[in-house]
Amino acid sequence: MSAPLLVVDNVTRTFGGVRALDGVSLEIREGEIVSIIGPNGAGKTTLFNIVSGVLRPTSGDVRFMDRSIVGWSPQRIAAAGIARTYQIARPFVRLSVLDNVAVGALTHERTLERARAAAREVLEMTGLAPYADRPASDLTITQRKRLEAARALALRPKLLLLDEVMAGLTPTEIDAMAVFIEQLRERGIAAIGGVEHVMRVVMKISHRIVVLDFGKTIADGTPAEIAADPRVGEAYFGTSLEEASAS
Amino acid sequence: MRRIGILVFCVVVALLIVIPPMANGYYRSLFYITLLYVALAYGWNVISGYAGYFSFGQVTFFGLGAYVTAIVVTKTPLPWEIGALLGGVVSAAFAVPLGYLMLRLRGPFFALGMLGLARTLQVAANSMGITGGGQGLFLPPGSNALSVYYWTLAIAVLAFAGTWLIDHSAFGLRLQALREDEQVAATLGVHVTTQKVYAFIISAAIPGLLGGGYAWYLTYVNPVSVFSTSIDLQAVAMTILGGIGTVWGPLIGGVLISQISEALAAQYPQAFLMIFGGLVVALLVFLPRGIAPACAAALSRRRARAKPAEART
Amino acid sequence: MHPALIGQLTIDGLLVGGIYALSALGLNVIFGVMRIVNLAHGQFVIMAALICAALFDWGHVSPFAVLPVAFVGALIAGALVQRAFLRRLPEDLASAETTSLLLTFGVSYFMLGLGFAIFTGNFHSVPYLTGSWSIGPFSIAQARLIAFVTAAIIALLLAVVLRYTAVGRSIRATSQSLQGAMACGIDVENVRTVSFAIGSGLAAACGCLLSTIFSYNPQTGDDFTLSAFAVIALGGLGNYAGTLLGAAIVGLAISFTGYYVSAQAAQAAPFVLFILILLVRPVGLLGRRAA
Repeated sequence: MSAPLLVVDNVTRTFGGVRALDGVSLEIREGEIVSIIGPNGAGKTTLFNIVSGVLRPTSGDVRFMDRSIVGWSPQRIAAAGIARTYQIARPFVRLSVLDNVAVGALTHERTLERARAAAREVLEMTGLAPYADRPASDLTITQRKRLEAARALALRPKLLLLDEVMAGLTPTEIDAMAVFIEQLRERGIAAIGGVEHVMRVVMKISHRIVVLDFGKTIADGTPAEIAADPRVGEAYFGTSLEEASAS
Repeated sequence: MRRIGILVFCVVVALLIVIPPMANGYYRSLFYITLLYVALAYGWNVISGYAGYFSFGQVTFFGLGAYVTAIVVTKTPLPWEIGALLGGVVSAAFAVPLGYLMLRLRGPFFALGMLGLARTLQVAANSMGITGGGQGLFLPPGSNALSVYYWTLAIAVLAFAGTWLIDHSAFGLRLQALREDEQVAATLGVHVTTQKVYAFIISAAIPGLLGGGYAWYLTYVNPVSVFSTSIDLQAVAMTILGGIGTVWGPLIGGVLISQISEALAAQYPQAFLMIFGGLVVALLVFLPRGIAPACAAALSRRRARAKPAEART
Repeated sequence: MHPALIGQLTIDGLLVGGIYALSALGLNVIFGVMRIVNLAHGQFVIMAALICAALFDWGHVSPFAVLPVAFVGALIAGALVQRAFLRRLPEDLASAETTSLLLTFGVSYFMLGLGFAIFTGNFHSVPYLTGSWSIGPFSIAQARLIAFVTAAIIALLLAVVLRYTAVGRSIRATSQSLQGAMACGIDVENVRTVSFAIGSGLAAACGCLLSTIFSYNPQTGDDFTLSAFAVIALGGLGNYAGTLLGAAIVGLAISFTGYYVSAQAAQAAPFVLFILILLVRPVGLLGRRAA
């Protein structure tokens, strides 16, 4: 078994007196897809902000490829191989779709021309190629979600943090996104997805599921284990989880 | 298309080199003032247009360059060109620590911080001995105003070419990305602080280099003449009119506005401030993107109509 | 350092600071609701002061009599700036905050030119209530004390309006959360206009009160914008109680630098203080970092 790619070790983060994350630990291996589920406010976004260097943990450690990345700047973490998307898509609206993606490619390409060429490949992959020269403000919400993913992929990450990628998508779009995430594994990219609902897809594509609630990990296991866990199903997800595992 | 562009550029520069010596004093100074403001607008455009940090205090560096030159000329036997060059170097050097400090501020904080800085330096120049206090410093009468013109032409051309390069470079893309969303740019691997400071240095060096020429041209410097924020006002108005954050904007806006400014500044200084103030307001409301983007859109529409079969490149 | 002198400088500083607080409160109301800084704010202060000076020259009209008129005039002018220009700014040029900075920068110069055209560049002052009262070792300038008390009354009225009236409640609600206010059915566009009007009105009131204390020409407007901003940078944006503390600090800085260094330095004291504060704490001394 390979060494874990990312280790989140007993991370706590407080805002004022509120513990947004309370001693959370998790591991992810290369090519693994882990879903973090939990209601709004459970601490998913805070966790992503800490791993991507936007926030510092109040205590605890984050290790990426055996090195502690606590205190690293976001750009250093990005260059090291952790990319993220934002829950609410934040495209650079006045730049072209191509340039939005080229920004990330600049971490490994020296010139703008080569970065744009690399960006074009990513756009082909994510189905945004026809919009390459349009300003990002022209994109629909779904396309913006794709753009988030495309920008992150342009960094050629080893680990992708997907914050609420499914939110606001129609069932068909969710399926398309699921296919996209499964393709990541073929490219050797590990992914952590934060998900509030859409259990059907989570159960299907995740290797492991971590359940967060009020900043604490209340369960961590395979989809089957999570589905069987009475605390999870009953306390936090009602019947949707059972329906999900049944389907 | 690009070849035609370069050709036009060379012809224009050649004309700007050849014409002024033949022109009379009035036109010569009009040429000078136009180029001065075009270059100042290019300076402002880098930090404010590309990086999105609106500064109302870039005149700080203009004044710094003017004073450095005045001091060099009056206290040493060196020629003014050395002083002006030194002014640019001092401005750029000053911009390094200043950039790291000020660029932590955002939006109104940065804008007002820079305005406050310009005022602080104005007050300092007003009260120090080496700067001649409120009276300022008097330079020997400029026997060769043409040299100031060529100096300014060179800087304007460099500023234009530099902006073109920035617009077509990885650096420019990084600046635009951080302008749109600094946090997202950082998580996409952009070293935001470093890039901002680079932009700030460029935006300081340009006015720094221009200030010395202005001092030589006026033959005096005083706190009011070279630290006045109305100099920034003009650069701002020109850039907005032409198109903020574009390669052509400062040139178009600068050429158009300098003519009004020259006609008004001397005779109706109050009307001048009112017109410029009103112009900024009107432009933001009615033509916020400026002329250059509007032209570009019209051009690409025409091209698309003219050659429907051909794909745009 | 003589204790009586320090006491005197402290009194002078606090009195002036209290008057400055009025303009800073105005700027803070605008910022709280609209998240923008009005760069023309100081021009409203100076316009009112210049009008006071002109009316005093003309017929010895008391600045305190001009105050309510100037307040209403600025109220209308402020509402106009918001309605006619700020509201019509395009959303996609840059963030609203930065575009509005450019716009108010333009407004500020328009007013500066207007000020020059009407009042020339000469320095003006109002020689009104020039006497002073002696209390123990201290002498208190009449104009300062009365202006201070007037400022305090106006500030109290503002507090009452903000706390107990429907308009005040909408202003506070919008300051706290734009989305929240909209969800509660508050007409946010109206609240913006009202707060811009009130903010400008307070600036003009401050200008009338300062008209007897300083000498000024249209050019000094920027200094009042900067000092008001220095006050709210010290006190925290959107923090009204902090504004009073910030104003006290700025007032003291002006009075002590004026005595111990020079009048020139006193002029620059607010900006230097402001830059220093921002460098140490980019969100202001008492400001809270947005979540």
